[in-house]
Amino acid sequence: MCGIAGRIMQGVGAVGRDLVDLMDAQSHRGADSTGFAIYGAPRDTGYVLRGMGFNKAQMDGDLADFMNVLRDHGSDFLSEPKILSDKNKHYCFRMEIKDPADLTAWVADADTLTDRIEIQSCGRSLEIIKDMGGSSEVADKHGVRDMHGTHGLGHARLATESSVLPNASHPFWARPFSDVAIVHNGQITDYFTWRDKLERQGYRFLTENDSELIAVWVSDQMKAGLTMPQALKKSIGSIDGVFTYMIANPDGIGFAKDRFAMKPLVVIDQDGDLAMATEEQAVRRVFPGECDVINHDGPSLMGLWGVGNRSIAA
Amino acid sequence: MSEHVIDVGKRHIKEINEEMQEAAAAGKVIRVVNTLSRHNLGIGLPDGCQISFEGSTGYYCGGLNVGATIDIERNAGWACGEGMSKGHITVGGYAGMSCGAAMMGGTIHVKGDTGPRCGVAMKGGNIVVEGKIGYQSGFMAHSGKIIALGGAGESCADALWEGEIWVAGEIDSLGVDAHAVEPTAEEVAEVDAILDPLGLVDTSREWRKLVSGQRLWYFESRDASAWLMI
Repeated sequence: MCGIAGRIMQGVGAVGRDLVDLMDAQSHRGADSTGFAIYGAPRDTGYVLRGMGFNKAQMDGDLADFMNVLRDHGSDFLSEPKILSDKNKHYCFRMEIKDPADLTAWVADADTLTDRIEIQSCGRSLEIIKDMGGSSEVADKHGVRDMHGTHGLGHARLATESSVLPNASHPFWARPFSDVAIVHNGQITDYFTWRDKLERQGYRFLTENDSELIAVWVSDQMKAGLTMPQALKKSIGSIDGVFTYMIANPDGIGFAKDRFAMKPLVVIDQDGDLAMATEEQAVRRVFPGECDVINHDGPSLMGLWGVGNRSIAA
Repeated sequence: MSEHVIDVGKRHIKEINEEMQEAAAAGKVIRVVNTLSRHNLGIGLPDGCQISFEGSTGYYCGGLNVGATIDIERNAGWACGEGMSKGHITVGGYAGMSCGAAMMGGTIHVKGDTGPRCGVAMKGGNIVVEGKIGYQSGFMAHSGKIIALGGAGESCADALWEGEIWVAGEIDSLGVDAHAVEPTAEEVAEVDAILDPLGLVDTSREWRKLVSGQRLWYFESRDASAWLMI
């Protein structure tokens, strides 16, 4: 059992605050770890990176190695990296970088350091914040309530398939596709087989978490020419297990549900002002007044919500 | 009878349910406001209790009901009336997944549609749905009746044990081992007797009664593939 949530604002707004509320209402669904994917105002060039280093005692050396890989790819920090460190051994970072010459090639090289330091999101607007602990704890530590943007995702994890580690939390970034993130409620049973196929194509997975597959799987299908709705639909027949997942990109959020209709999704849509969550009581935090609630309860469902009522079907 | 209003908001669920029990014991009619779709509202309410919920409720509302009359203004979340043995629950709108799960007696009346697996593993009582019942409704129901006036979703009556599912309207597809039979006039009269107090009798309905093919009663492992529905 996990809890997932999504929020699309009308324009740039306090999406961080709303996602924290959505996840706070669902913290009982999984208190192992909490995460947020927030789409801020997009920049024309440069990327924001969010990630983690696993041993703060070696922070300086590890960050220097990370910077050297960046420079090898014609990039550099645009500003001093922001480091968040506490009693835990791991530390979290936020960096703004110049465009590398080839994003995929740079990510592949940066990933040679993942035993020490790992990128957890890369995007013109996407920032993924994840950590161990409940919604309030993670929100307080990372200042999530103060983050503004157009839309985003949230996740509360109750680990069923793999270890509780700070980097095994959701949301997952679709490595190396910039600005794509997913959250998932359920279990993928054939993830190992799928991962093996994708790894043979050159993709990298950094955790043993089954959900990490979904983001890359959908993005790979889209890279091969499918539209997002086509890829979501295909996933229902191709990926085995129990799932309701949401996938976000700068244009909006899509969802897909398995054939067994095991995991719920509740949506309030007020003319493009949207909140989605596992439980109705969560979306009520954002829309407390009486209004229509859409229950996506059936099997094999998928759908898309565009930011600003934008179509993301194309 | 005097009315007792309970404000839910962010209060602890145990405190809210204890207040309901005390008000019911004092013979008050209870009105619950500001529900915010919270879970576990009104669990184990006693016989004779009359209670109404403003707006929508979360999971398990009216669960383990032993005789209360419960009115939910709008939607109910998962497993409304789970395990109830007696009483009456009315849902004004949509009832989420597993409405009436494992119920043993009493009636649940849903004015809208239901989510998947309505009446899953029910052991008795009746569920009347004015709209459409969701995917795989009646899954492994042992007894009792699910009566759907607005059709049924896919895999209807899958692995039904001994309950009955009555459907007026379209059935998207039948589940494994579900059989549609023509009901007799006496059987229709029994169903109408359930619908009559709700003001829902309509003699023009074309009923289909779904019953178990009973293959699950004598399960043979060599037939296992038939039960792998996908």
